[in-house]
Amino acid sequence: MQNRTANSKQTATGRPQIQPNANAQQTRAPPQMIQNMARVTDPKHVPKEIRDQFLKKIHFCSQPYDFNDDTKNVKEKQERSQYLQELFDLLKEPNFVANLVVPHLDLIVEMIEKNIFRPLPILKKTATNGEIGMEDDDQLIDPAWTHLQPVYEYFLQLIVNEQPDVKSLKIFITHSFIQEFLELFDSEEPREREYLKNILHRLYAKLVPRRKMIRKAINDCFYTLIHETYKFNGAAELLDILASIISGFAVPLREEHVIFFKTVIIPLHKVQTCQFYHEQLLRCSMLFLSKDPTLATFLVEGLLRYWPFANSAKEVMFLNELLEVLEVCEISKLEPLIPKLFKRLIKCIAGPHLQVADRAMCFFENDYFLTILKSYKPFTFPLLVPVIAQIADTHWHKVLQESLNALKTILKEIDYQAFDKALNNKDPKYLYIIQDAKNQKKDRQKIEEKWKNLTKQAIQKNPNFKEPVVPYSDTHIVGEHNGLNNGNITIL
Amino acid sequence: MSENPFEVLKEDMENEEVYLKVNAMHRVKVVATLLGNDKIKSQLIPYFESLLKKEDDEVLFALAEELGNIAQIIPNQSSCLLPLLEQLAGFDETVVREQAVRSITIVCGFLADNEIANTIVPMILRLASNDTNFTCRVSAVSLMCPLYARAGNQKEKIRQKFTELCSEETPMVRRAVATKIGEIAQFMDKIHVIQDLIPVLKQLCQDEQDQVRLLCMESLMNIAKILNSGENKTNILPLIIQSAEDKSWRVRLALSKIFADLAEAVGKEIADSSLIQIFSNLLKDTECDVRVIAVKSLARFIKFVSPEKLNLIVPLLQLLSKDPFSQVKQNACEVIGQIATLLPKEYSQSKLQQYLIDLMADDNQDVRRNAAKSAGQFASAIGPEALNQFVPFLKKSMDDPKWRVRKETMQTIIQLALTVKNPDVFNKQLESVFVMFLKDRAAEVRSMGLSQLPALIATYKQEWAVGNFLSKCVETLSKDVGSLYRINALYAIQQISFSVDGPVAQDRLWPIVQKCLKDPVPNIRFVSIRVAKSLSKKIDNQQTLNQIKQAINELVEDPDRDVKFYAQEALQN
Repeated sequence: MQNRTANSKQTATGRPQIQPNANAQQTRAPPQMIQNMARVTDPKHVPKEIRDQFLKKIHFCSQPYDFNDDTKNVKEKQERSQYLQELFDLLKEPNFVANLVVPHLDLIVEMIEKNIFRPLPILKKTATNGEIGMEDDDQLIDPAWTHLQPVYEYFLQLIVNEQPDVKSLKIFITHSFIQEFLELFDSEEPREREYLKNILHRLYAKLVPRRKMIRKAINDCFYTLIHETYKFNGAAELLDILASIISGFAVPLREEHVIFFKTVIIPLHKVQTCQFYHEQLLRCSMLFLSKDPTLATFLVEGLLRYWPFANSAKEVMFLNELLEVLEVCEISKLEPLIPKLFKRLIKCIAGPHLQVADRAMCFFENDYFLTILKSYKPFTFPLLVPVIAQIADTHWHKVLQESLNALKTILKEIDYQAFDKALNNKDPKYLYIIQDAKNQKKDRQKIEEKWKNLTKQAIQKNPNFKEPVVPYSDTHIVGEHNGLNNGNITIL
Repeated sequence: MSENPFEVLKEDMENEEVYLKVNAMHRVKVVATLLGNDKIKSQLIPYFESLLKKEDDEVLFALAEELGNIAQIIPNQSSCLLPLLEQLAGFDETVVREQAVRSITIVCGFLADNEIANTIVPMILRLASNDTNFTCRVSAVSLMCPLYARAGNQKEKIRQKFTELCSEETPMVRRAVATKIGEIAQFMDKIHVIQDLIPVLKQLCQDEQDQVRLLCMESLMNIAKILNSGENKTNILPLIIQSAEDKSWRVRLALSKIFADLAEAVGKEIADSSLIQIFSNLLKDTECDVRVIAVKSLARFIKFVSPEKLNLIVPLLQLLSKDPFSQVKQNACEVIGQIATLLPKEYSQSKLQQYLIDLMADDNQDVRRNAAKSAGQFASAIGPEALNQFVPFLKKSMDDPKWRVRKETMQTIIQLALTVKNPDVFNKQLESVFVMFLKDRAAEVRSMGLSQLPALIATYKQEWAVGNFLSKCVETLSKDVGSLYRINALYAIQQISFSVDGPVAQDRLWPIVQKCLKDPVPNIRFVSIRVAKSLSKKIDNQQTLNQIKQAINELVEDPDRDVKFYAQEALQN
C-alpha cells in the first residue's frame, strides 16, 4: 500500500517517468532505494541511511572483478549489475541527482574510472588469423563488455543530465582523465568505441573550459598514430567527434586550427591504415575547407605528396577526395601544383589498374576540373594529348578505350590547334609515362653512363672511395616484382 | 668527356620518378668527392637547402643518410652540414628525422670537444626548446645520449633539459625519454644518475600512459646495471615491485620479458631476497600472455639466483605445467629441463619428474614436443637411474601421431645415448626406442636417426652396430615393407660399413646388400649399388670384390634407366 502512495506522490510532483521503471524493477528486485527516497518529504535532507546505502552501492560497484571468467564471483557480479541498474534509475530522479549524485560526484567518477580505465585486452580470435585485408565476419567480443556497458551507460546519462553542472564536473575531467579516456578508443570492441564517442562528444559540448585541453589530447592521439603506431582502432570515432567540433569553429579560423589542419588532418592521409577512417577524414577535411577554402591547395599538395604506392584501393579513395577538394580550390592558386597534379592523373589513367584508371577518367566529366585544364592549357595539353592519343589506340579494356576516345574528342573540341600542336611535337619528357620498360631503360643509359664515369673519376681521386649502392635497381626485388626486367608492365 | 658532376646530379634529380631521385641522391658522395670542400659548401649545400621544401620524404630520407656520408669526405669541415641536418631532425616524417639524428652523430664524431660544447650542445638545446614541433624535442632526446659524454662543462645544462623533458605533457616526448633514459645513464657519472635520473625514472614509471611505463622497463634494467647492490635496493627495487603490480598487463609483460636480465643486473643478493617473490607473482599473473613470457624468462632467470632458493620456484612449476594455456606449458617444459640441472637429483626427481611425464602426454603437440625435448635434459641431469622411468614414455612418444613430436623424441633419445655412454643402459633402455626410426612413417624422423648413426656407432662400437642393430636392419629389409623403409635401412648399413673392418663387411654386410641388388624396386637396386660401392672400399678379399663387380655389372643392362646410370658410374671409378 505504502508503495503505491509513494509512487502516486511522485506523479503528483510531476515526475511520472520513474513509474514504468519502478515497475520494471519489480520483476527483478524491488528498487528499494527509490522507494525509500520517495518517502522523504524534505528533499534537501537525505536521511543518513539512504545516503549510506547509496554510498555502499557506489563503493560496491568500484570493486574490480575478473569479467573474463564467468565462473568467478558470480554472486557479486549479479549484485553489481543490480546496483548499477539502481544507480542508473536514480539519475532519472532530479531530486536524487541534486542531493545524492552531485554531492558525491567524486566517488561516482572514481567508480567510473575504476571500471572503465583498464588495460585494454587483446581479443583473441579462436580461428587462425585470416589474411590481412580480409573482411572478418565474426566480430570480436570482449567478454567483459556486458559488465562494462552499464557503467558506460551510466556515465553517458550522468553527463546528459543537466543537474551536474560544468563547475562540479570540470574538477574531475583533468588532463590525465582525458588522456586515459582517449586511450580506451583503441578498444577493439566497436560498441565500446561508440559509447566513448558519445560520452566524449557530450563532455566536449558541456565542458567549455575543457575544450582546448580535449582538443590537444586528441591531437596527441593522432600524432601518435601518424608518427609512431600507425594503427589506432578509434581513429574513425575520434574523427567523427572532430567533425562536429570543426563545424563549430568560428570563421575566420584561428591559427591553432589551421596548424591542426596542416599537421594532423593532412598527414593522417599517409598512415597505412588510412582506409579504416578515410570516410570520416574526408568529412573533416571538407568541413575545414568549407570554413576556409584557401586551405584546399594545402590539401591537394598533401594528397599528391602522400600518394599511395602499390595500394590501388587507397588510390581510388585519394582520387575521389582529390576531385572533391579541387572543386574548392581557387584556380589561380593551383599553379605551382599543376604539373604534379596532371602527371599524377595521367599516371593513374595509363596505369595497370582498371578501377584507378576509371576513377581518374571521371575527372574529365567534371566541369570545374575542365576549367582548370583549360586555364593551364600551355602545360596540360602537351602532357595529356600525346599520352591520351596513344593509349586511346592501344588500351586493353574496351570500355576504357571508348572513354579515352571520347576524351580525345573533348580535348580536340576545347582547342583544336593546341591539340594538333601537342600531338605533332610529342614531348618525350611526357611520353615516358607510357613507354615500356625496355625503352625506359634505354633512356636511362646515357645518364647511367655519366654516373659510371664520375664514379671512376672519384675512385681515381680517392683510392679508398667505395662505390655507392643504390636501393632501386633492376635486380632489386621491387624492380623484379613490378616487372622491370620482363617488360610486361609499365612502371609508373 | 669530363662531365660536371654537380650538373649530372641536378639533371638526374629532375626526374619524374621518386625512385630515380632516391638513386641519384645516394650517388651524392660521388659528386661530393669530385667537387671538393669548397664547392660542397658553395654549391651542394645551398642546392640541398632548396630541396628540403619541395622533395618527397623518400628523397629527404636518402639525403639525411648521405649527409652522414659527405661528413666522412670532409671530416674537418663537416660542421657545415649541421644546419641542414638540424632542419631534417625537426621534420615530420619519423624515418627522416631518425636518420638525421644518426647523421648528426656521425658528424659529431669528427668534431673536437670544444666544438661539441659550442655548437652541438646549443643546437640540442635549441631543438629541445622548440615548443611548436614536438618532433624537434624527440630528436633532441635521441641526440643527448651519444653526445652527453662529450658535452664538457655543458653537461649540467643537458641533464637539466633532459629531466625537464620527462615532465612533458606531450606523450610522444615522454615516450622518447622513457626509451632513452637507460641509455643516457650509461654516459653519466653515478652521482648524477642517482640524483637526477632516478627521480624522473620514478616519475615515468608512474606515468598515466602504460606505453610510457612499459618503455621504462628496458631503461630500468640498463640503469640497474650501473648501480651497485645497495643503490639498486633503494632505487630500483621499489620500481620493480611497483611495475610487477602495474594494472596494465602490457607493463607486466614488458617486465617479465626482461626479468632474467634484470636479475643479472641487480645481482644475486637482491635476486635471492626479493626478485624470486616478485617473479612468482608474475608467473601467476591473470593474463596468460604475461605468464607465457614470464615462463620463458624463467628458464634464464633461474641461473641468476642461488640454487637453494629455487625451491620457491618448484611449486610454481606444478601450477604452470597444468596451465590452461598451452604456450605456458610449452615454455614450462623447458624450465623443468633447465632447473633439473641446478637442483639436487632426488629433489627434482621427486618433485618434477611427474610433471614432465604428464606433459609428455599433453593434448597439444607443441607441448608434447617440448616435453620430449626437455625429458632428455632432465634425464641426463638426474642420471641413468631416471632413464628407466622415462623410457616407456619416450617409447610412447615415438608412437605419437605428430611427426614433429617423434622427431624431437628421436633427437632426445640420441642425445641421451650420446651423453650416457653406458652400453648396458643403452642396450637395455634406449636402443629399442632408437631403432624405431627405421620404421617411422615420416622421412624427417628416419633421416634424423640416420644422420646421428655415425656418432652412435662411434660411441657404442662395432659390436652393437653389427650385432643388435644390424639384425634390426635386416629385419626391416627382409620384411615386405615399403621401399622407402628398405632404402633407409640400406643407408644405415652403409653407415655401419664406414666403421667396420674388412672381414666384417665382407661376411656380414655384403650378403645382405647382394640380395638387395636384385630387389624388384629400381630405387633399391641403385641405392644398393652405392652401398656396395662403399663396401668394396673396405673389403680386401679379391674374390668378394669380383663378386661385387660382377653383381654391379649385371645391372648395367638393367631395364631401369637410373639403375643403369648408377651401375655405369660405379664401374667407372
